[in-house]
Amino acid sequence: MTGKQKKRLWGALHTALILFAIFVMLVPIAWIFLAAFKSHVDVYQLKLFFTPTLENFATVFDDPYRLGEKLVNSTVVALVTVLIAIPIATLAAYSFSRFHLRGETVMLVIILATQFVPAVVIILPFFVMFRDVGLLDTRLGLILVNLAIVMPFAIWMIKGFVDGIPMETEEAAMVDGSSRVQVIRNIVLPMAAPGLLTAGIFCFIIAWNEFLFALILTNKDAVTLPIGLALFKGEEGDLWNLLSAAGIIIMAPMFVLALLIRKYFVQGMTMGAVR
Amino acid sequence: MRDNTLKYLLVLPAVVVVFATAIWPLAEAFRLSFTVGRLNRPGSLDQYLGWENYAWAFFEEPAFWNSVWVTALYTVLTVALTTILALGLALLLAPGGRLRSGAQTLLILPFAMSPALIGVSFRFMFNPEFGLFDAFFGTVFPPLANVSWLADPTLAFAVVVMADVWGWIPFLTLVLIGGLASVPRDTIEAAQVDGASGWRVFRDVTLPQLGPVLAVVVILKSIFSLKTFDQVYMLTNGGPGTATQTLSHYIYFNGMKYGQIGYSASVAWLMVIPMIFLTYAYAKFVFRKG
Repeated sequence: MTGKQKKRLWGALHTALILFAIFVMLVPIAWIFLAAFKSHVDVYQLKLFFTPTLENFATVFDDPYRLGEKLVNSTVVALVTVLIAIPIATLAAYSFSRFHLRGETVMLVIILATQFVPAVVIILPFFVMFRDVGLLDTRLGLILVNLAIVMPFAIWMIKGFVDGIPMETEEAAMVDGSSRVQVIRNIVLPMAAPGLLTAGIFCFIIAWNEFLFALILTNKDAVTLPIGLALFKGEEGDLWNLLSAAGIIIMAPMFVLALLIRKYFVQGMTMGAVR
Repeated sequence: MRDNTLKYLLVLPAVVVVFATAIWPLAEAFRLSFTVGRLNRPGSLDQYLGWENYAWAFFEEPAFWNSVWVTALYTVLTVALTTILALGLALLLAPGGRLRSGAQTLLILPFAMSPALIGVSFRFMFNPEFGLFDAFFGTVFPPLANVSWLADPTLAFAVVVMADVWGWIPFLTLVLIGGLASVPRDTIEAAQVDGASGWRVFRDVTLPQLGPVLAVVVILKSIFSLKTFDQVYMLTNGGPGTATQTLSHYIYFNGMKYGQIGYSASVAWLMVIPMIFLTYAYAKFVFRKG
């Protein structure tokens, strides 16, 4: 075989492997998408061709499942979590980025470390406390504990963005008589806005997909979408067509959001350990 | 306001939130771990019994050691498999081009999927009657044709590992592609000009350069593997029996289903210990760059 032929063969092999990898990655997702449009008869067969129906989506929003309530809960909880976390994280990130604080490294390490604390450890004391103060099964309770997982990401991610904004503009404005607060409001915030939006979306996805806290803290009023999946375990086993429809409602919006911020996904998740 | 005051004021809210949502619960869980701590007995949360909960876990509870073993095996397998497969995929996709960057975009999707939903989808895929993967494995490897995956301890464990590997490969691949991009091209080209084979270039040039990123990947994945709960809960709920009961699931079950908050807090704290080492190792990499 000549060198050229060998190269071409390698190229073909690589392409085949890549296509196979894409296939394996997409099959479980695609299968849910198909199942969501199958009737309850078709879903229990390995069919690729069937008459699609929208019935499942109507059913999951109807009694007794009422997925709409869970959708509202998920949206409110994730959104409010983000709206609290991002401003607080932004102020801290600016300070960490621009000043030298006493104990700064210790603080940053602790913030980093809290991200790695198992959720199941955090939730035990919160469950006891919420039981005593009546915050079980409320959105407020869920928002408070969600801050635990979202804050460290938000601080680290936004600090990364602020680090990337050159300091010269700020210094020039200060020379012209602007106060630090004005500088933050008029210069830093507009320049960091895309970064803040990215961090916000990232945190929204995390809060939306959160499972363990919601499983333990909610049972009726504040149930979120991932917990709502358990509704579709009927007497005769799993109702796969309904589970799939609910699955789409959970994942499709996150797919859109994740694609919007895909360039920053790695940086966010690794808190800047990989750039 | 002087910057000197302002800089501390700016971090104050964040410090308060992190303290209230992470440090306090950690400390409170530590305290609870020394109490009788029964949810249904008021007052037992302040009834101290020393190290008894820890002793109970160590000496009286085979189920605890079972979950330690399950978690350890699960962590080793998922970290090794995800890292190796992600590295392979990253090497395939790194050169760029239409197909490859398209593939990279699609890789975001599994990672945006809720882990609980991944659990559900794999239970679906391995359903013995109409599961797609069940049918696939049965066709490719006939001895597996009539097995009920989630009813068999070993196979159920294998499915849980597969679901996790499937969910994490995409993200780790993206991290490693980022790492590969920072390996200097001219070093690779120089080695190629010198006549080094593809394998030699990979082993002697790419891999050492990739070292730090690989370390970050392994540490990060270890942390998340140790914590695993969502998929396990949705996929097998720890079963059959306790064959797939990870530590998080064991803690959840003892604390929430049996109401033994004190005991589960002690196990939870035992779980924090390896986390401290991993976090320390991870922090070193984060600050090395900054």
